[in-house]
Amino acid sequence: MAHTAHTVKRYTGIMDWLTTVDHKKIGILYLLAGGLFFGIGGIEAILIRIQLIKPLNDLVSEQSFNELITMHGTTMIFLGVMPIIFALMNAIVPLQIGARDVAFPFLNSLGFWTFLFGGLLLNLSWIVGDVPDAGWTSYVPLANTEYSPHHGVDFYTIGLQISGLGTLLGGINFLVTIINMRAPGMTYMRMPMFTWASFITSALILFAFPAITVGLILLMFDRLFSGNFFNVALGGNPVLWQHIFWIFGHPEVYILILPAFGIISDVLSTFARKRLFGYSSMVFATILIGFLGFMVWAHHMFTVGLGPVANALFSIATMLIAVPTGIKIFNWIFTLWGGSIKFTAANLYAIGFIPTFVMGGVTGVMLASAPANFQFHDTYFVVAHFHYVIVGGLVLGLFSGLHFWWPKMFGRTLYEGLGKATFWMFFIGFQLTFFVQHFLGLIGMPRRVATYLPNQGFDTMNMISTVGAIMMGIGTLMFLWNIFITSRQPKNASADPWEDGRTLEWTIPSPPPEYNFKQTPLVRGYDAWWKEKMDGNKEMTPAEPLASIHMPSPTILPFFMSVGLFIAGFGFMYGRDPFDNAILGFLFNNYIVSIIGLGITFGCMFLRSVNDDPGYHIEVEELEDKGGRG
Amino acid sequence: MASQQSASNHSNRRHKHEGRQKHIVAFIFSIVLSLIAFAAVASVAEVNATFIIILLLVMAVLQVIIQMAYWMHMKDKGHLLPVVFMLGGAFVALTCIVMALYWVWW
Repeated sequence: MAHTAHTVKRYTGIMDWLTTVDHKKIGILYLLAGGLFFGIGGIEAILIRIQLIKPLNDLVSEQSFNELITMHGTTMIFLGVMPIIFALMNAIVPLQIGARDVAFPFLNSLGFWTFLFGGLLLNLSWIVGDVPDAGWTSYVPLANTEYSPHHGVDFYTIGLQISGLGTLLGGINFLVTIINMRAPGMTYMRMPMFTWASFITSALILFAFPAITVGLILLMFDRLFSGNFFNVALGGNPVLWQHIFWIFGHPEVYILILPAFGIISDVLSTFARKRLFGYSSMVFATILIGFLGFMVWAHHMFTVGLGPVANALFSIATMLIAVPTGIKIFNWIFTLWGGSIKFTAANLYAIGFIPTFVMGGVTGVMLASAPANFQFHDTYFVVAHFHYVIVGGLVLGLFSGLHFWWPKMFGRTLYEGLGKATFWMFFIGFQLTFFVQHFLGLIGMPRRVATYLPNQGFDTMNMISTVGAIMMGIGTLMFLWNIFITSRQPKNASADPWEDGRTLEWTIPSPPPEYNFKQTPLVRGYDAWWKEKMDGNKEMTPAEPLASIHMPSPTILPFFMSVGLFIAGFGFMYGRDPFDNAILGFLFNNYIVSIIGLGITFGCMFLRSVNDDPGYHIEVEELEDKGGRG
Repeated sequence: MASQQSASNHSNRRHKHEGRQKHIVAFIFSIVLSLIAFAAVASVAEVNATFIIILLLVMAVLQVIIQMAYWMHMKDKGHLLPVVFMLGGAFVALTCIVMALYWVWW
């Protein structure tokens, strides 16, 4: 390819962040936005717990309580933890496979901005005052216009639709990246576990998100355009929503937990300073969990009345998932067994993960038993179960991964002492909050109810639960404080700050240069960097001569494409509302706002199609100036 | 990097050139199948309806085969992963269809 003399516009400051297509910067953006929504969801959680601290409390009204539980679930799942997963995937997966970027840098940026604007749209409902209140599952008929006449559920359908687009784009991007962009010698069975988990998670996203997309479109048409998909009077069926939601929803919980499995595997083997025990069984267990995850959705619907045969089949299928998960648990224990374990903050979170996740798994098997499920259904037992797997599993995994890869992402290592204190605060708070909820559920406290009467045996345990929730809040603040004081330190993390790094991301400077690898490394085995260290090598063998590196140009188009969708979403939502202001009425009721929004999006797509951007090259001289390994 | 890219560009070009003839044939074949289908529906007054339904189903199957083999590259070697992912997608789609038919409407 001829090196066309092409000067690229380099942006600085805020424009740099708005236009970046660099996967490492997009990872940081995901972390910032995900952290923001995680904070909002956390505040909602603490308000819920303070409302329930004592019987007949009236901190919030019943309506506000419904809004809080709905927005807590929706925000945490779709806008809090998933973006933080994407943050780590963006920051680390290309480095682990020896790639210079993801396969589609433009789509990567588009995925982030659609997620952010979808999330902002959903959370603007708090400012508008019409907040989603039909639960994070948004079951019809509660979610239809008859029972939810205000715009709350519209914020839910349109906000999630736009942010789901970003998730789907991200999933496809990582599939293509991992299939096509591995360094020479990086075969599938040499990929680090976090990369494997990201790969399977992306496949689950690819197959599961179309289901929720269809479901949200049906609900949106029912609500905004008088559709009748869920209207029994006109031949619709509300159970259809439950099926569609859970055909998406169950794979979704594996989308959440598999990356945590990957993080834990990498962290444990690094700090046990041992090769991961049973690597190939870990890979196949991950694939099996992903596959089985699509065949168990009806276990969320045991009480709907599918009949004993269906309930029995879905019970057994659900219990089957315990087998590959158990394989993983034992592999982690055997990885630690006989290792020379370093108890860093990252490793504490990983070790705390194992028993906590096992408890969530055990209550999962209990819930899988259909007859017992009829008793547990809609009680705090279910709440305790899924918080044990999501918070005790995924969130501990994310904290572990953030401590572990923070130096790689930012060039600064988080304070270990404060990190360990944060772990204990968060971990003890977590157990206090959710352990007692098992028993609250077993003695009959229903979930999603704004208050309870005194002297039913609920009082003390609810008090303990609230105290625990506040401790988790303090733990999160301590983590933020750690980030704040770390950010005031110089960027002095070495390439391999833990000194026991095993995989390719630890062979390049922290933070990596924009092209990641000066020369693509040659991978000679599983745990590529560890193998070189054991063979006495100071760096990876390059797989190519030093040559100029082709880079994608920054672009503002993804930002405006997402802004367009955001505007169009508002246009559709208020298309049929009466307006006092004549001009506003004209703009919204004739769908002019929607047309403008979609015009911006399609106009940007058109610009992207006709404007052939060849990117730019970083020349050899510039690479040599920068020095450093990689 | 640069030399690698030009090599892959070259092989892509050759690949396209070899495939063009077959793709044009496949394209014409698809259009002919569609025309037959339209003609069959248009002639519903003269021809037995059962025959037309069977004919349409056969046409549909042939269309799917052409789509998969030529346009989705299923006939080419080294497409194991796309095949795996398409089968995965088909499995999930089939699950949804069975769910919708068996539980929701019957």
